[in-house]
Amino acid sequence: MEEKHGMTKVVAIIPGLAFMVLTLYILRTYVEPWMTTAVILGQKGWLVKVLHLNYILLAIIAGMLYRNLLWAGKIPAWAEEGFRTTRLFIKAGVMMLGSLYTIQSLAKVGGVAITLIMTFVFGTILFVMYYGRFQKMDRSLVGVMAAACGVCGVSAAIATTPAVRAKPADVALAIATVLGFGIASMFISPFIGHMLHLSDYQFGAWVGTGILNSGQVLATCLAYNPTIAPGTAVAYGEIWNVVRVISIPFVVFFITMWYWRAEAEAEHVTLIGIIKDKFPIFIIGFFAMTAFSSLGMLGAEGSATIQLMRTVMSWIFGLGLIGQGAYIDVRELKAAGGAPLKVGLAAGLCKYALALVVVLLFVSKEANF
Amino acid sequence: MKILLALDPSTDTMDEALRFATEKKADLTALFVLDSTWNDYTGHDWLSGSGSRADFLEYARDAEITSETDIIAKFRARCPSACEIKTATGRVTDEILLELTEGKYELLIMSHPFRRGLEMMRDAAGVILKQANCSVYLIRDNQSHRSASDVGDLLVASIAT
Amino acid sequence: MSEAKKNVKMTVFKTDRHEDLAAMFFVTIAVVSVLVYMAYIVPSITLQAPMDGKITAVTVQPQAQVNKGDLLYSIETKEKKYAHEALEEKIVTKEIHAKTSGKILSVMAKAGDEVKKDKNDILVLEHVKGTLP
Repeated sequence: MEEKHGMTKVVAIIPGLAFMVLTLYILRTYVEPWMTTAVILGQKGWLVKVLHLNYILLAIIAGMLYRNLLWAGKIPAWAEEGFRTTRLFIKAGVMMLGSLYTIQSLAKVGGVAITLIMTFVFGTILFVMYYGRFQKMDRSLVGVMAAACGVCGVSAAIATTPAVRAKPADVALAIATVLGFGIASMFISPFIGHMLHLSDYQFGAWVGTGILNSGQVLATCLAYNPTIAPGTAVAYGEIWNVVRVISIPFVVFFITMWYWRAEAEAEHVTLIGIIKDKFPIFIIGFFAMTAFSSLGMLGAEGSATIQLMRTVMSWIFGLGLIGQGAYIDVRELKAAGGAPLKVGLAAGLCKYALALVVVLLFVSKEANF
Repeated sequence: MKILLALDPSTDTMDEALRFATEKKADLTALFVLDSTWNDYTGHDWLSGSGSRADFLEYARDAEITSETDIIAKFRARCPSACEIKTATGRVTDEILLELTEGKYELLIMSHPFRRGLEMMRDAAGVILKQANCSVYLIRDNQSHRSASDVGDLLVASIAT
Repeated sequence: MSEAKKNVKMTVFKTDRHEDLAAMFFVTIAVVSVLVYMAYIVPSITLQAPMDGKITAVTVQPQAQVNKGDLLYSIETKEKKYAHEALEEKIVTKEIHAKTSGKILSVMAKAGDEVKKDKNDILVLEHVKGTLP
């Protein structure tokens, strides 16, 4: 494949990006309003009231349909570069979500988030280490699965793989398992949340703790309640997400130390080195936005400025999620198997169910902010 | 007759291709494709920041290169001089189909399941059968039940040495 | 090793660190654009009902000057809130204050009007240039 440079690279983005924008425009302008009035099975707005469909879920579904049906499993060359901007949009959206908080509100909810997440992260890591040994799994794969199930799914697996010398083929199976689990929980969790009448705070806390792949936490929260504002599911879920993302380098360090402890020729790793290499610096942007919001530089809550900012945010997320959907190849997910599937399913289901029980028992419906 | 052998870790397929080519007095060309789709495979992962994904993709690429060296060495040991060996980089099935078209081959021989790079997660034979412009000879790969691919095994071996 | 093999193409950016920085740049552009647009380009804004409810009082008149924090109108609304683990619904009256200083250009709502969130216009405010309405 010929490598593109400079302006050619920018121009190459346009067709795919324009396609994503057009899709989102159609979904938000025509499909979503139609869904609220359409009469299906004798009920007006059945798609919204019963299936809880909104533009976020539609965006992901549209992306998945493009990839799996329209394009038969492969994003075509003309759209490839444009779709690659998907991560840029989601990262930008996450940073802008920082504007939903003030430093005080983060401090209030952050304590609960850190306690819950750290308990579940290290609990899951220890479970996978034990269960993986029981399944006679390769040690390096145990390390990857422990990171993947413990903290952030695919991101943690990717961050840990080179450090523990895992086999790429096994990692591919692990990714399929974790991603498959994340996607399934993305569609199922809103139903369970509505069924159990969880408040936005409880829902954010639950999916933020229980969903295996953090990439789907935001989408799940937005699917539950598409409103982007303080006090909504996405505002709470994102705090959980940020804590998880920040903990990746620490988890990678912990697992790397565990892995090389038993190896003859230990590899020299330092926590500082791992943080320098792996810390996702876009999170700094999130905190910068929180600081600006705390200083009142982004407009007052309820103002037209904040409203416009959130509309921009919702479009940015929508674009990112169409791309995310298009990176999901159902056939690849179906290939998940072997030890990663067994361990991933056991850890994932335990975490998902246990997190729900803990949230129902210990997290109040009323949020701290 | 021109035959293309799509290389993967299966030595049974290499042996069968060589036997068949000798029997038919055909020209055998072997093609090894380095899978460059790891980036797309992890494309949904937006949480990785900084060097994480770059490190991983480099690691996967190194594994591909190690695999290339080993698989080609295995094939060379079986067919020291008579066969041409080509390499390509890209999506494995696309590169095989491209070579079939450009080289005007009459037959493609490959393993099924085809364990080259991420094709272990996909249905390579299904894609090839739909689009190939020549006959396709699929050889059942009895080693495919192993969860760890040779790619990984070889990478670990190379690090150990 | 050939260049083709060396090439680990990440995104449209060279690495995720570039992507992170690009996202930060993109956010800066987006946020600054919104702020500049609202502060300097938009001449006036139409305030719509922030929630479903009934207007109980409108305390400003057209052409009146208002300062940041001044009461604009009051709205009676149903507030749903979790209290003691149960969803409580009670009728409350909310006062809507000016987010910025400016001049009221017109008032469309009057006391007693039933309004829907983001559907009904309440008033039009010309904000002082450089402030965020």
